[in-house]
Amino acid sequence: MNTTVVSRRAAVPDLVLTLGAFLLGLALLLAFLSVAGFDAAAGLAALWRGAFGSRYALLSATLVPAAPLLLLGLAFALAARAGALNIGMEGQFAMGAIGATWVGLAVGGWSPLLAIPAVLAAGLVAGAAWIVVPVVLRWRFGVTEVISTLLLNFVAEAAVSWAVTGPLQEASRSYPQSDPIAMSARLPRLLPPDRVHLGFVVALAIAAVLWVILARHRLGFVWRAVGASPRAATVTGRLPVERVAATVLLLSGALAGLGGAIEVSGVSAALYQNLSPGYGFTAIAVALLGRLHPAGIVVAAILFGALQAGAGAMQRDAGIPAVAVHVVQAVVILVMLLATRRRG
Amino acid sequence: MRRAIVTCLLLLGAACGGESATPGDTLRVGLVTPGSVADAAWNAGAFAGLEQLRDSLLVDISHVEARTPAEQEEALRSYAAQGYAIVFGHGFEFQQPAERVAAEFPNTVFAITSGQRVAGQVVPIVFRIHEATYLLGRMAGALTRTNTIGFLGGMELPPIVLGLRGWEEGARAENPAVDSRVTWLNSFDDAAAGKEATLAMLRLGVDQVHHNADAAALGAFSAVRETPGVLIYGANANQASLAPDRVAASAVIDLPRAMLLLTREVLAGEFVPKVESFGLESDVVRFELNDRMRDTLSTALVQRVMLARDSIIKGLLVVAGTPAP
Repeated sequence: MNTTVVSRRAAVPDLVLTLGAFLLGLALLLAFLSVAGFDAAAGLAALWRGAFGSRYALLSATLVPAAPLLLLGLAFALAARAGALNIGMEGQFAMGAIGATWVGLAVGGWSPLLAIPAVLAAGLVAGAAWIVVPVVLRWRFGVTEVISTLLLNFVAEAAVSWAVTGPLQEASRSYPQSDPIAMSARLPRLLPPDRVHLGFVVALAIAAVLWVILARHRLGFVWRAVGASPRAATVTGRLPVERVAATVLLLSGALAGLGGAIEVSGVSAALYQNLSPGYGFTAIAVALLGRLHPAGIVVAAILFGALQAGAGAMQRDAGIPAVAVHVVQAVVILVMLLATRRRG
Repeated sequence: MRRAIVTCLLLLGAACGGESATPGDTLRVGLVTPGSVADAAWNAGAFAGLEQLRDSLLVDISHVEARTPAEQEEALRSYAAQGYAIVFGHGFEFQQPAERVAAEFPNTVFAITSGQRVAGQVVPIVFRIHEATYLLGRMAGALTRTNTIGFLGGMELPPIVLGLRGWEEGARAENPAVDSRVTWLNSFDDAAAGKEATLAMLRLGVDQVHHNADAAALGAFSAVRETPGVLIYGANANQASLAPDRVAASAVIDLPRAMLLLTREVLAGEFVPKVESFGLESDVVRFELNDRMRDTLSTALVQRVMLARDSIIKGLLVVAGTPAP
């Protein structure tokens, strides 16, 4: 394992750099709020209180959105480390949510020990199935997965609309949403009454497994070698570049689908049209900020979860309108990406 | 300079006076909207209502935009946890999250616009929009020359279907032979699609158009402005200004007034959980003629419609809001 480029990228990411970028983003945010005429100090205080200021803020407001961001961030990183770009996580998330809802509605009489794995498996399968077409297109025809996965997002969005007004619509057939899934299919909360659920632990476990695979396992070495230079990998004649790409894309789709499943099973308990506030795209920023390393992605996902929780508090407690909050989020993301770019 | 200082001091004094006049237990009211309050329609109306609560009842207000189910539940819960007395969830999608949250916070009233049922302190605010669209339908049934009326809907949601039924029922009351065309856009903001759908209906002979599609209906107004001999009927607000010579009347929902009535009940300690249903009698749902068009309408028709309005208010005429046979 003396391929220096590859092994250096697998080292523990520079936490200081990530946190520094986050703080720089906050400083810029202060300046922006002052210029826009808001009480910047009150806004920032609300952001902090809403994200980390209390047990509730941390264990409910921040960690609940952090769970899907973590899974989707890992999904992106897994493929990206092997040189494949999955831009279709939003769609795989949606398909995972459809699959989980469909199974979750059918497992009423089951024990949670069976129902929950069934629901999560449905998410994994649905997410992987949704990326089969891009994988085949790349494998057989050399179509870049960047375009094909991206375009399938729109199809998935339409599929959710169809599902909640068609086969999965609630019993009264009036509203575009599904019935609540069975109680046995819902992920238990870790520390009731706080809302952080088992899905967060599942995501952490997957991060750990991925870390081990990437750093220690032969499979991870092959992935990283292909990602570092597909051409060199091809020239060696010993690394199946296209097969690796197909494998990581399928795994990536499955993880994104799992993200949709834990959101239905752990949070919304039903299928809705707008289940994701763009997790599939925010997660790309999460993965890049975490420098494609599982540990870094855990930190980045929690920071982004905090940003989402704090954004709500800024509106609620400091009267800063949603539009300004969106600008703030964009500013923080841009600064963090810029600041971590050099070594990424 | 000195005057400026004095003014400042006065302002400071006023601010301080205001502070001391409002004790710490001022009623707090929160609003959660499913979209931006800059939409000039559904969400903007709720935000205007919230501001009126602050101005006329001197309550503390707060607003959060929450688009996803996860964010919506989180927003409702945060308000309740902070002791807000009333939280408005602005849309049917807040019903389920509100029911989940309400069990833990018995001191907070959750008012759900277009909600589905009463559950503890969760109360639906329901508008009997069909009472007003019935009156629009009466006018359309009398004024159509082609015997064809058209309706442009955003999404096939129960409150919107109810308005459509009222519109059709009114038209048939005036003109049993009338033919009704309906288009569902599956969008509340795609104005281009709204225009295309309206033009298609006009080509089929529709000459009276009603809608319930928020911003997407701006396209319908544009289509009507370009086509001579067609009238359009506004929804949710008095939309006469969108086509001053073509809007015959509007079915208005005065959301701020509904929020005011409910908040007053809570302030006075008279609140009991029930379906908060508003129709023509409350003045929350209103039928508003376009004043600029009044001269072009026959007095007999206007009188008939106004008579029907009074009958509905008195309970003599019940708009069923059920599908036509």
